[in-house]
Amino acid sequence: MGVIRVTHREMRKILLEPRYLIILFAGIVFSFIFFATITKEGQPTRLSVGVVDMDGTFLSRRMCHEINATQGVTVHAVYNNHSEARKAMQRGEIFAFYEIPQGTYNDLLQFRAPHFVLYVNSAYMLAGTLSYKQLATMGMLAGGAVQREVLRKKGYGEEQIMGLIQPIEFDTRTIGNPWINYGDYLMTTLIPALIAFLAIMHTAYSIARERQKKTMKSWFRHAEGNKLYALIGKMLPYTAWYTFLCLVANLIMFGFMGFNFEGSWLLMMVNTILLISASQCAGAFIASCVPEPPLSMGVSAIYSAISFSLSGFSFPVDSMPTIIYGASWIYPIRHYFLNFCDIAIFDNGFAYCWPRFCAMMLFFLLPIFGAYMLDWQERKQKKNVEPSNTNPPSTRKDTVLSVDKLEPTTDAV
Amino acid sequence: MIKYLHDIWTVLSIEVRRVFSDSMVLVIFFLAPIVYPLLFSFIYSNENVENLPVAVVDEAVCAESKRFIHKLDATPELSVVYRCHSMEEAQRLFKNHEVRSIFYFPKDFSTRLASLETARVVVFGDMSSFYYYKAALTGGNSVLIDEMHTIEMERFEAAGLGTEEATIQMQPVVLENTTLFNPSGGYGSFFLPGLLMLVIHQTLFLGICILCGDANENRRSLSYIPAHLRTRSIYRVLIGRSLCYILIYIPLTLLDLWFIPRWFHLPQLGNLYTILMFLLPFILAVVFFAMTVGHLLVRQKISPMLCFVFFSVILYFLTGMVWPQSSMPRFWLYFSYLFPSTPGVQGFVKLSSMGAGMSSVNHEYLILWLQVGIYFLTSCLSIYLQNFMRHRRSNSIHKIRKTIIATALDNNSKQ
Repeated sequence: MGVIRVTHREMRKILLEPRYLIILFAGIVFSFIFFATITKEGQPTRLSVGVVDMDGTFLSRRMCHEINATQGVTVHAVYNNHSEARKAMQRGEIFAFYEIPQGTYNDLLQFRAPHFVLYVNSAYMLAGTLSYKQLATMGMLAGGAVQREVLRKKGYGEEQIMGLIQPIEFDTRTIGNPWINYGDYLMTTLIPALIAFLAIMHTAYSIARERQKKTMKSWFRHAEGNKLYALIGKMLPYTAWYTFLCLVANLIMFGFMGFNFEGSWLLMMVNTILLISASQCAGAFIASCVPEPPLSMGVSAIYSAISFSLSGFSFPVDSMPTIIYGASWIYPIRHYFLNFCDIAIFDNGFAYCWPRFCAMMLFFLLPIFGAYMLDWQERKQKKNVEPSNTNPPSTRKDTVLSVDKLEPTTDAV
Repeated sequence: MIKYLHDIWTVLSIEVRRVFSDSMVLVIFFLAPIVYPLLFSFIYSNENVENLPVAVVDEAVCAESKRFIHKLDATPELSVVYRCHSMEEAQRLFKNHEVRSIFYFPKDFSTRLASLETARVVVFGDMSSFYYYKAALTGGNSVLIDEMHTIEMERFEAAGLGTEEATIQMQPVVLENTTLFNPSGGYGSFFLPGLLMLVIHQTLFLGICILCGDANENRRSLSYIPAHLRTRSIYRVLIGRSLCYILIYIPLTLLDLWFIPRWFHLPQLGNLYTILMFLLPFILAVVFFAMTVGHLLVRQKISPMLCFVFFSVILYFLTGMVWPQSSMPRFWLYFSYLFPSTPGVQGFVKLSSMGAGMSSVNHEYLILWLQVGIYFLTSCLSIYLQNFMRHRRSNSIHKIRKTIIATALDNNSKQ
């Protein structure tokens, strides 16, 4: 009963001041549209690359044309020497360049293997890797073309030639993202992580706001003095709202945008609900432990801002230092991400997900500690009320006053 | 002139006192820029995925496949932890995440090799993280190229070519790869320089917004303006306050952008003087940008933490470090230049990681100064606007109060 009354109170508060709900909703929609439109093409295209053509023969020019015709890269410029190209790279104009040395054509005719040097800028990871891949393939093909010409002249058959110049090849199957779509890989974890982040912050904010407005007593009164009911009642409206948003985001991603999804929708729903509620429990715990409202927001932000890295979707957590690997378990998004891999990529059932579901449920214990902390703080406050009347005002207040004195406001005028 | 300096000094000293009397701002200004860079540098200290567990399914069982597997195991990227008899067994391990990749040698691998055809190795990669896939392919490709050369050599020699001729025939064009500015291709070396800059950007921005919110909550907003400067000298106030932030942030930027990359062995080719020259407009732009946003939008002390922190992810993406600027849709490219972080991160990475000179970051430097100018004007405007609104409101409240009192007095006198 207490829970329902607190929930009712919280919903009325939200409806009376819906500013932050609307702002954060707009933020989520904005992020979604941002990532969806920016990664629309799956992989970065039109990557600028350069060629240093010191040979200047028809062969080197043909190579430029062929690089330009390769999917994903465009030749930004042809440079006369190495330092020009390097400067262009430092200006960020090109991500990679080929250096075709002088006398390449002659060397080829005389069987004196010319050296092509491929310079790649790895400071930009994705762009560098992709342009390297395209240009290296291009180089291999150029080498292969020369080999094939020579072998043809020597009288070998086409099949034999292929066997000679490429004895082994890789047949790559990318499980879980067959198109190697960056958007699929990025958005499927980043968007739920963002929503979970906001769920933590919003829960912490709603508690901090009670402290700031000094309405804690009315809040507890609605819960009949039970701090746990008070916390649960407070979280419920946000749980419903953010779970709804996360489910809709998942539906759009896996349903309409066609991202890879193999497993059961039911498990994914459970996973989403647990992610949001576990995140909120963490937020509620922090906000109830840290008594100063602004500081509690700061601690929540510091806690949750690392969650994006520790979910492990960009750089694998198992390759991070061991202590960080252990710390990643205190983030619900880490469990969500592992479950998501099991469900959406590997089509693993409940048998694989249940330990992580349990781990997420362990977060539900946090509000109990939070309620205990709230109780303790209230008792401490009551004890301090009487002696504090005789105490002189704190030093902090002094500084505020002195600042006020220094800067008279027009309000006062 | 001395009066000007004195005014600036007054504002500066007020602002310093405000910063140091607020625990929240202290956390944001001092704790976050020290803890975050250290933490993130530690998190990404293992630059690459090493010894990725893989399974091999060798149905060919021949000398070539065995050699291939040995070489796979010897690469730094891969570690062959299971040799399976069947694909089902490997798939089970793959599903259990015990291995992140499977190398499958089909039965015809040896026969195809023997009959001088192209043999096939099937590689299954776990795409839950790009780095698993990348490690599997990097390790696999290096073995593939090595093996190809060995087998090609054998074949050419068998075809009657001499060793020298075979070598030339095998490699008519020699391809050399040189990776610049991040030789190990590590994730940390790529990710951290931009992140460090973003930490400076975000903490400064949030701190200033919180101070604005604090002033607004405590009804002190006019305030930034000492009484005698009230109407026409907002710029003196702005200069005084920005001086305060610059003084606080100079040691922090030195720590974050010079010493931490040095301690954690991130690529660092730039020189300190150039970097500091570049950072001056960056910090100024962030300060004025934050003041514009803070005075226009922030009403509560704790709301910036709620509304602006999550934007960091988008800001990082907008800088063009992940998704290159040339591939961004036009709209987002122009949008990204609203924030000082975009030219800031781009410029810093070019100066520090890529060793570019000031002339190479002309574009970014110019944009930053442009932002400084524009945001200086907008922050003046937003402070002026806020003062104006507040003044009007307090006046109207004053009037209402007066009329209420007057009517009450009237009523009293009538009675």
